[in-house]
Amino acid sequence: MIHRLLAVLSFVFLCVGTASAEPLKWGGPIGSQTSDGYNALGPVVKQPIEFPHYRHARDMGISCLYCHTGARRGYVSVIPRIDKCIGCHQNIESVRNKPRIKKLFEYWEKKEPIPWKKVNDLPDYVRFNHERHVQRFYFRQNRPIREVCGYCHGDVANMTVDRRVKSLSMGWCISCHQKDHRENDVSMKTSHGPYECWQCHK
Amino acid sequence: MSESGINRRDFLKVLGLGGSSLALTGCGNTDIRSGDELIMPNVSPEDFVVPGLSVFYASTCTQCGSACGVMGRVREGRVLKMEGNPQSKISGGKICGLGQAAVQVQYNPDRLTQPMMKVGNGLQPVSWDKAMATLNEKVGPKSGIKGENFAFMTGAMSGHLKVLVQNYLDSLDSKNHFAYEALSPSIGFAANKQVYGVDMPRLHFDKAKLIVSFGSDFLGTGASPVHFAAEYAKFRKAPRGTLVQIEPKMTMTGANADRWIAIIPGTEGIFALGVANQLLKHSEFTNTVPAGIASLVSKYDPETVSQITGVRPELVGHVASLLWEKTPSIVISGASAEGHAHGVQNAVAIQLLNKILGNVGKTIDGQAKSPFPQIAPEAGSFSSLKAMNDAMGGGKLQAVFIHGANPVFTAPSFMGFRDNLRKVPFKVAFVNAADETAQECDLVLPILTAVEEFGSNIAWYQPEGVEITMQQPLMNKLYPDTRSMGDIMLDLVKQRRADEYKNWPDFFSYLKAAVINMKPAVKYTDTDEHFWYDTLSSGVIHIDAPQEQIGDSFAEAALSLPEVQNVQDPKFPFYLVPSERHYFRDGRHANCGWLQESPDPLTTIVWDSWVEIHPKTAASMGIKEGDYLEIASQNGTLKVKAYLFPGIHPDAVSIPLGQGHESLGRFANGVGVNPFTILNPVFEKDTGELAMFGTRVSVKKTSDSEIVVKDEGPVSTQMGRKLVVTLPADVAQLSKEI
Repeated sequence: MIHRLLAVLSFVFLCVGTASAEPLKWGGPIGSQTSDGYNALGPVVKQPIEFPHYRHARDMGISCLYCHTGARRGYVSVIPRIDKCIGCHQNIESVRNKPRIKKLFEYWEKKEPIPWKKVNDLPDYVRFNHERHVQRFYFRQNRPIREVCGYCHGDVANMTVDRRVKSLSMGWCISCHQKDHRENDVSMKTSHGPYECWQCHK
Repeated sequence: MSESGINRRDFLKVLGLGGSSLALTGCGNTDIRSGDELIMPNVSPEDFVVPGLSVFYASTCTQCGSACGVMGRVREGRVLKMEGNPQSKISGGKICGLGQAAVQVQYNPDRLTQPMMKVGNGLQPVSWDKAMATLNEKVGPKSGIKGENFAFMTGAMSGHLKVLVQNYLDSLDSKNHFAYEALSPSIGFAANKQVYGVDMPRLHFDKAKLIVSFGSDFLGTGASPVHFAAEYAKFRKAPRGTLVQIEPKMTMTGANADRWIAIIPGTEGIFALGVANQLLKHSEFTNTVPAGIASLVSKYDPETVSQITGVRPELVGHVASLLWEKTPSIVISGASAEGHAHGVQNAVAIQLLNKILGNVGKTIDGQAKSPFPQIAPEAGSFSSLKAMNDAMGGGKLQAVFIHGANPVFTAPSFMGFRDNLRKVPFKVAFVNAADETAQECDLVLPILTAVEEFGSNIAWYQPEGVEITMQQPLMNKLYPDTRSMGDIMLDLVKQRRADEYKNWPDFFSYLKAAVINMKPAVKYTDTDEHFWYDTLSSGVIHIDAPQEQIGDSFAEAALSLPEVQNVQDPKFPFYLVPSERHYFRDGRHANCGWLQESPDPLTTIVWDSWVEIHPKTAASMGIKEGDYLEIASQNGTLKVKAYLFPGIHPDAVSIPLGQGHESLGRFANGVGVNPFTILNPVFEKDTGELAMFGTRVSVKKTSDSEIVVKDEGPVSTQMGRKLVVTLPADVAQLSKEI
């Protein structure tokens, strides 16, 4: 009986613990399960700073577009400029002495760019347009931003550093382009994504 | 097992290994990867910079002297493409192929990236400190270099850099500024000065119904090809204007003409006088010229003209009747009519037609007069090269600076320029690439390209008002050890006049202060800072200056009859036409892959030199396409492949300029031949300019032959089918045509 109680207690503790604590920093090997139920398809990428996406997007509820400002207006989603990070963090004294933040301020003081590594890197002959997708699904269909970004990037809000969880292959792109999607949140009219070669291979 | 020691199975194994290693090394990123590439976000970029989206900055194209306003497309700090700047009246928002290639000048793999100094027979890299210390030692205040000891050779020049060069020469008490352009417009300028009282009148092609051009390639290489192409497009709109081109070798403009007339080089003036003679017979024109000129002209009846010029006699009357029918018209002369010993006379005789037809004031009037003479353009001339060469040969010069010109490549071999340059103890070249001239210099300084540099430019042909086109860096400098020419000049001026220039730490601040000084001339009312930033963002300063008055009183003295020496020389029976390619100009652009790869518009040949010869002449000598010919003048011989070309006079052969480099870079070296080397010392007698078209040559077939690499295959053979039926112009009955 006591064993059963302990087991239940430890299970509850485990659940509460995982909900608030940092997810596994680096995750498991390729193929292991991620928090959103997908398989990790890309390798673990060691970044110069282990950026905690979960802290910003999940715990603070900051929109992806707040930092990735290019996603709604350009081809690339944009890794934020350092002065964007500093803009907030110079006023957050409570975490000022955490090792990651210290590292960030080191880059800032040296005025050096942070050499982030690309996680979702398509081949050079593919031109993916973030703007088209964000405008269609976030602004016109009015779906939650974490869901819209998640179509291709998975549940980044539950990751520390980003890891590729979708295949990003051409067949995978096409599988979504073949589906009918509603044109906006008030109309029932649907259309699918373009199939023409030149839309991506310019 | 075969004798070579490799059997089929081993061969296949090697092949398999090679194939798989090829797949591994591949080109570019062909896979979905994580963690292989970096993204470096800016630390604090400008607000309007969005990675992935292009930003356009206004600047000026310096590929030729037209000073077209351009916009550079910049993404992530790199210039990617050039476009025309719509605010520029010169470019009108358009750009030519040469301008597009400015990007390849910037990213050229053969750019000089650090200062070099002559050690023994070769150039060795040195630091900037050492280079500037050497400059100070050799030409600084303590060096004793002064006045006649020193010379500064530049290419065509304008704007504030020209002022600094001038000020530097003043600080040395030297008057030796030699502005040298191998293909300079000086002879045309001298003729215009005689006729109109100005160097260059404003030509309104768009207002004309007929253009008669004597060898002016205004669409390809003229004063302002982009602007003239736009005017030409208006001219060709309904009611469609007519273009008649008279020249020894077809230019790109000639290829666009309704009627193209091949003429013996140097006899263009006689043809013009023949036409004038016909026109003066019409009662409406009889009193347009003084009686003296009318009587001079009257001896040129069509038969006489035909004998001298080699043009059929009826064409003289035909051109005259076209000019009589289609008014207003415009008659212009170009390089192939002007590049002779009697070039000015030729051009003046051609301009006489404008006087008779009353075109002056209708299609030809004055350009706007710049209120800033100190930054006005210096178009450059051959006589500068000659003067400098003589000074060097006489041992007068102790130090020379060379910027924007490559005289070792473009000076004809009869001048012995290279040997004379070696006599000068200290020679400095300011270059983007270590060209032939730089190889002869003691100090070679790498300067920024036009897209990395601030500057101001003024073209010598101004279509509307006076346009000062501004240059601003489209990107940061690619190589840390290159320096701005303006900064170097400012440092040099400060060697002797530190006090006068102490307010300007760099060329940027000097230029900014100078441009703000111009504010009153443009009637700008906002603050100085606003004026500066408005100027940079629009790329142009436009000044509504009043037009220069041009004279139309055609004094009798202005016309002296062209002295045509149409003597058959049995040793050198052919006329040499050194043709200017609109991509290469004098050869400075030859190290550009795009331009080498762009087919010549008329022959479609790429990556090579060739000699154009008329098919009839070739047939009589047994020459086929690709046969190597020896083209010999008194001053040298070139061995070059034959290309049979109907667009050339049968007594002339033509070799394009610009190829034949020894040291410019990997795309230019060893490609083709350099016709500058074999030019004869024939000089225009009024101006002293080199008569580029005055050289006679002999043609000898050799036993060698090679395929000519060209695109035209299907055009000439039409794939064995008659896709477009054509007839040679001399066979066709064109009496009812133009």
